[in-house]
Amino acid sequence: MANMKEIKSERLNESYYEIDHESGLKILIYPKANFKSSYAIFGTHYGSIDTDFRLEGEENYTSVPEGIAHYLEHKLFESEDLDAFQRYAKTGANANAYTTFDKTCYLFSCAGNLKESLDILMDFVTHPYFTPETVQKEQGIIGQEIKMCQDDPDWESLFSLLRAMYKEHPVRVDIAGTVESISHITADLLYKCYNTFYNLSNMALCVAGNVTPEEVLEVADRNLKKTAPVKIERKFHKEQKGVYKPYVEEALSVAAPIFSLGFKEAIETPERSLKEILLSSMLLDIIIGRTSTLYNELLEEGLLNTSFGTEYFNGYGYAATIFSGESPDAKEVQRRIIARIRDLQKTGIPEKDFLRVQKKYYGRAVMQFNDIEGIANSMVASYFCGESLFDETEIIEALTLEDINERLRTALDTENCALSVIKPEA
Amino acid sequence: MSAQPIVTQIGPKMRLIRVKCENTKTTCISVLLQMPLRKNTAEHLVLSSYLSHSSASFPTLQKLSERLEELYGAILSVDARKLGESYCLRLSITCLNDALALKEEMLSKEALELLLDLLLNPNVDGEAFNAKQLETELRITIADIESTLNDKRAYALHRMIETMCKNEPFGLSQEQLLRDVKNVTAKSMYTAWRTLLTEAVVSISVAGEQDFEEIETMLQERFSVLPNRQPVSPETVFIPRASEVKEVTEEMEVNQSKLVLGFRTGMQNKDDNFFAYRVMVDIFGGGPYSRLFNYVREKLSLCYYCAARLDRAKGIMVVQSGIEKKNKETAQKEILKQFDVMKNGTFDDAEFEASKAALCDLFRGIEDTAEGIDAFYSLKAEGDLETPANIIAGIQKVTRADVVAAANRVSLDTVYLLAGKQEV
Repeated sequence: MANMKEIKSERLNESYYEIDHESGLKILIYPKANFKSSYAIFGTHYGSIDTDFRLEGEENYTSVPEGIAHYLEHKLFESEDLDAFQRYAKTGANANAYTTFDKTCYLFSCAGNLKESLDILMDFVTHPYFTPETVQKEQGIIGQEIKMCQDDPDWESLFSLLRAMYKEHPVRVDIAGTVESISHITADLLYKCYNTFYNLSNMALCVAGNVTPEEVLEVADRNLKKTAPVKIERKFHKEQKGVYKPYVEEALSVAAPIFSLGFKEAIETPERSLKEILLSSMLLDIIIGRTSTLYNELLEEGLLNTSFGTEYFNGYGYAATIFSGESPDAKEVQRRIIARIRDLQKTGIPEKDFLRVQKKYYGRAVMQFNDIEGIANSMVASYFCGESLFDETEIIEALTLEDINERLRTALDTENCALSVIKPEA
Repeated sequence: MSAQPIVTQIGPKMRLIRVKCENTKTTCISVLLQMPLRKNTAEHLVLSSYLSHSSASFPTLQKLSERLEELYGAILSVDARKLGESYCLRLSITCLNDALALKEEMLSKEALELLLDLLLNPNVDGEAFNAKQLETELRITIADIESTLNDKRAYALHRMIETMCKNEPFGLSQEQLLRDVKNVTAKSMYTAWRTLLTEAVVSISVAGEQDFEEIETMLQERFSVLPNRQPVSPETVFIPRASEVKEVTEEMEVNQSKLVLGFRTGMQNKDDNFFAYRVMVDIFGGGPYSRLFNYVREKLSLCYYCAARLDRAKGIMVVQSGIEKKNKETAQKEILKQFDVMKNGTFDDAEFEASKAALCDLFRGIEDTAEGIDAFYSLKAEGDLETPANIIAGIQKVTRADVVAAANRVSLDTVYLLAGKQEV
């Protein structure tokens, strides 16, 4: 029998179920009363950065071509018989999949036939089928996907920055790999990765919306066989503390120069806690959010426009604070951001700014519980990070001015930054 | 779970749509203003930026943003877009449900007040918009138009529409728009804003759990100050058939070429056999069960994406794909071959059923959330109110013969290729 516990949030008047299925899979179910639609994700803790790995007991690390996790995502939809899309066509579900630096997720949304669609999801993700011919066929499709991204200046600017910040870590490589790297992918390599990372102990199934635990368990019981858990060792890429290159530029057909500016964080442990992530995101709001004096000055001076955005970028073995946008003078923007950070590090953050941003984060954290797509995705992400879905509102409310000032001083090293600029072609 | 929409006329061509949602985390409010395309369009585009950044009470972006953060991070968005031959300005705000505020604040009322303030009480100096702010807004808007170039898929689509609809208001070019925006003045903004309030067809939608009576009273009071409203319903030109196929190729430094095909659907107006067209276009190039996905992408491995979309408000269909330049003829031939399948009616029953099932599924979940309801009801300002249930019923009634008949009214109008310079 599966072991099930209910996780409640009195504050939100919401709850979900966490189930240890006897197959070894973690299942999270978030019923929403009166919803017609449901959203399901079957995810594995495996993404583009997992290019060097071994199973416990193995002597050597296996190195695989860049882009293989994403390639595997494409190929898993196929089987000897009908492919997954053809099967979903009968249920009306809207299915898709995505690969990130550290996750591969297969998903669907539906407003009816939930159990039938769950059957398809669980079946195709647990039954790989690759042949040299089917693997070859995908080269053209993914090759075009890679080229499409190369024409996206924001994407290029970000990856150009990551290549400037990181010397060793595979986060510097495009999630889909390169046309060259994917040409080395074979059916055997796909099976090797599949057999390592698609072990149920490395995966999670999350369903939110019009769903009950009983329905999901019924489908899981008939689809999932008990598997021995594996322990995966990911190679820890020892990354130098400083950025690899402080400045890089390239030319693309863009209307105005685009930049990405990143502050590389020196990290002692591979992963950041939810509290650290929230504090870093709030810092970005305070330093250069829409309410900041700096943003409004740069906007007025014509150094930024409304396409400007920020991100606290982090995952296994990497963490950076990133600013990106369009500017005629990215170096001046960099200078002003650094000056502002240093000022704040000296003076501390004004309490009223902290309290206002805290209130915003609280509101946004609560508002997201309308959205079953967001809920299901957050359940997968927070489970892989070892956090609980309802932790966020509690953590936000408990944050203090001291916490954020401490984070400002330790996580943002103004000496350690890189700037990437995409210039318009001459 | 939500109740049926309640519609009230609160003024000439001004309606209020209210939908009650239970146990929602948010309240969503939108005001949609619809004007004929090319009447002050440049000003309306600049307004979409200007009004989302200030009001008389919050005259700077910084002050307005502080206000939004105080409202628990309420999300404000203002957009401007073509809808057939009309231009729609939409102001939306999403805020935390009153019941979830920490100090029992009436957030929905405060959010509505703020939204109305942005529209009805902008940052003006006498009978002109504030010159200093306008300078920034013009720069932002110009950068925004120019940056269409950065998104090659969107850029190619723009260029195809400009070619195809050159002699219709709908073909308004980015270049023309840019020229018009550069001529916008503080005075012309003020005049356009006054005209907008007098002549636009207006639709307001509110989705949430709160008490609607108070909101309705507030809206009545605020809008009653508008003098002599004389709204004009915009009309769209529907061209039944393409005369001859226009072919345009342009070169640019890109890694991937973009092929865009524009078709006249034969629709006489936005309701003409809409459901049949919706299903037809979906079987042709909608989901992964579609002909374009399975033949152009999966069988021939020519692209990552190849999809068809119906623009109901203008009666056109567009196919877009990202390909290698050398494959242009092969891709175009295959796309047209698949369209012949639609015309001959030789598509599979499974494809027909898959499309109907997927489309119905899509509309069935819309009323689950305030966001879904808001997005659905804030798309058009007048006409019969369609509900998700009406649409599902309409789609379910479509037969194979309806689909084939719709396909046979379609004609190819324009083939546009954005070709990579370096590509072979």
